[in-house]
Amino acid sequence: MIPLSYYVWCAVALYLIGMYCLVSKRNMIKLVMGLEILVNAAHLNFIAFSAYRRAGFIDPFGHSIVIMSIVLTGCVTALALTIVTYAYKHYQTLDVRKLRRLKW
Amino acid sequence: MFTLPLDVLLVFMVASPVVGRVASKRGYRKVQGIYALLSLFAVAYFLYGLYNEVAEYNIVLIVGQLPFKPPLEACLQIDMFGVFMAFLYVIIGLFAIAYSIKFMECESGLSEYYTLVLGMIAGMTGIVFSGDFFTLFVFWELMCLTSYALVSFRKHKWEPIEAGFKYIIMSAAGSATILLSMSFLYGMTGTLNFAALSSRLTNPVSDGWLYMTLVLVIVGFGIKTAIVPFHTWLPDAHSAAPSPISAMLSGVMVQTGACALIRVLLLVFGSVQPAWQMTLVFLAVFTMFGGNFMALLQNDIKRLLAFSTIAHMGYILFGFAIVSHQGLTASLFHIMNHAIMKTLLFLCAGGFIYRTGTQDLRKLEGIRGAMPVTSILLAVGAVAIAAVPPLGGFWSEWMIVSAGIEAGMLLFSVLMVLNMLLSITYYLRLVYTINLKEPTSISEKATEAPVLLLIPVLILALLCIFIGIYPGPFVAWAQKAAEAILGM
Repeated sequence: MIPLSYYVWCAVALYLIGMYCLVSKRNMIKLVMGLEILVNAAHLNFIAFSAYRRAGFIDPFGHSIVIMSIVLTGCVTALALTIVTYAYKHYQTLDVRKLRRLKW
Repeated sequence: MFTLPLDVLLVFMVASPVVGRVASKRGYRKVQGIYALLSLFAVAYFLYGLYNEVAEYNIVLIVGQLPFKPPLEACLQIDMFGVFMAFLYVIIGLFAIAYSIKFMECESGLSEYYTLVLGMIAGMTGIVFSGDFFTLFVFWELMCLTSYALVSFRKHKWEPIEAGFKYIIMSAAGSATILLSMSFLYGMTGTLNFAALSSRLTNPVSDGWLYMTLVLVIVGFGIKTAIVPFHTWLPDAHSAAPSPISAMLSGVMVQTGACALIRVLLLVFGSVQPAWQMTLVFLAVFTMFGGNFMALLQNDIKRLLAFSTIAHMGYILFGFAIVSHQGLTASLFHIMNHAIMKTLLFLCAGGFIYRTGTQDLRKLEGIRGAMPVTSILLAVGAVAIAAVPPLGGFWSEWMIVSAGIEAGMLLFSVLMVLNMLLSITYYLRLVYTINLKEPTSISEKATEAPVLLLIPVLILALLCIFIGIYPGPFVAWAQKAAEAILGM
């Protein structure tokens, strides 16, 4: 059986990949995908922990959290993509660096 | 299902689009706003019942009907702190909705607007009522989702869309960070219930995972709380949203993040308190300086107010980071004062925007001649928030400073007093520009804001003065709420 720590480190790596994606990507849709990667890092963690809590027993609590969280993330993604379409209508581009009319 | 006020709020929220649709088909567009207003009155009534219950039993525990044993179940745990904050949300919501009835008159999609506002209030109420981390997260997402939609509500303009995109990316990353920290807590203890977490994490775990979780919690909640390195979404989002929404975002939503943060830190990370206490104090001082210095440079009235919110978040966080009964009381009292004063200021700014269509302070110079009542009410709010003695802001800021001195944080208290003095400059500049400068062509043509916009603002100003001259009962209430957070 694969040790738990592999999953945890994998989740941490996914989180870092998601953050890297948010920091470095220019395409707005890729940013939304970055958000999805971030959330999925946490989901992977929940599933791994719920499977390894006790030998031969899978804790349903972790799974119920993940299912709820998938729904919530779906809502956020839908809203983010809606905003992306409106931004495309205004700017005719998906490049996030063109959205620089606001100051800091 | 949940507790009565929250149930009523959610039911009204779900029914609101239906009412709005029917009403706007028959041509009664104002009905939607009045419906939302009445529903908030009903919630306030039920909340008063809950207040009596909590005053009698100290804590009301409501457990869900899932087939799990107690430490796993989702539950609500309502104490005086929750009721205190919920009253604040309902009151600020009342003023924002009463203002919206006239202010948002010409917008399309009004039934969605009121649904989203009620949803945001429901989300915030749920956050302060929740008794486990997962319930908190679900209500957190409800609050975040509705606020994303409200910030980019005027989708035909470029500014709300751009600000909304920035906001959604930063804030959703923060939510994901909170979820990751939750997963680590779940892995360490097997539960997310606050009471069970605090009893299972009593002996400080020596490995790094607990500290990593702590960092994730502070970053995750810190993004919503606008702690300075993560504050960049706030000025954009607050200046792009419609004025009543800016008032709600700035007056109560940002503070909800701070409340959730301090609740999680005290209940879950009580065993490593020295580690997060100093971090929080330093972050608070950075936040004060960042907000105040940036506010000095602004020419946009709503942006100036947004940066002043960041500075005030610094004060509130400093009060929380003292972790004494006095500090928490002071911070909660300041949250209340700040909510009232900031709502007053944003609604006054909304009055100017309604009549002139501009947020630029240089164009609003000397508008007092044209809009005397709004300008004077703005001056009342600005003087109160600049902590001039007889008004509300002074008492709470003074209480934070004295709590800091008493806890031995003399240096940081001095820095906070410096910040308070620094902030007076830009509030006075605001009052001076609006009231005393020579009027420009735009501000000469303006007329006084409609009565429906003036009534909520006037009541807020009176409330602000009333708290200033008679702070006793409010402080006593904040004290009880602070006792509830500390579990005394």
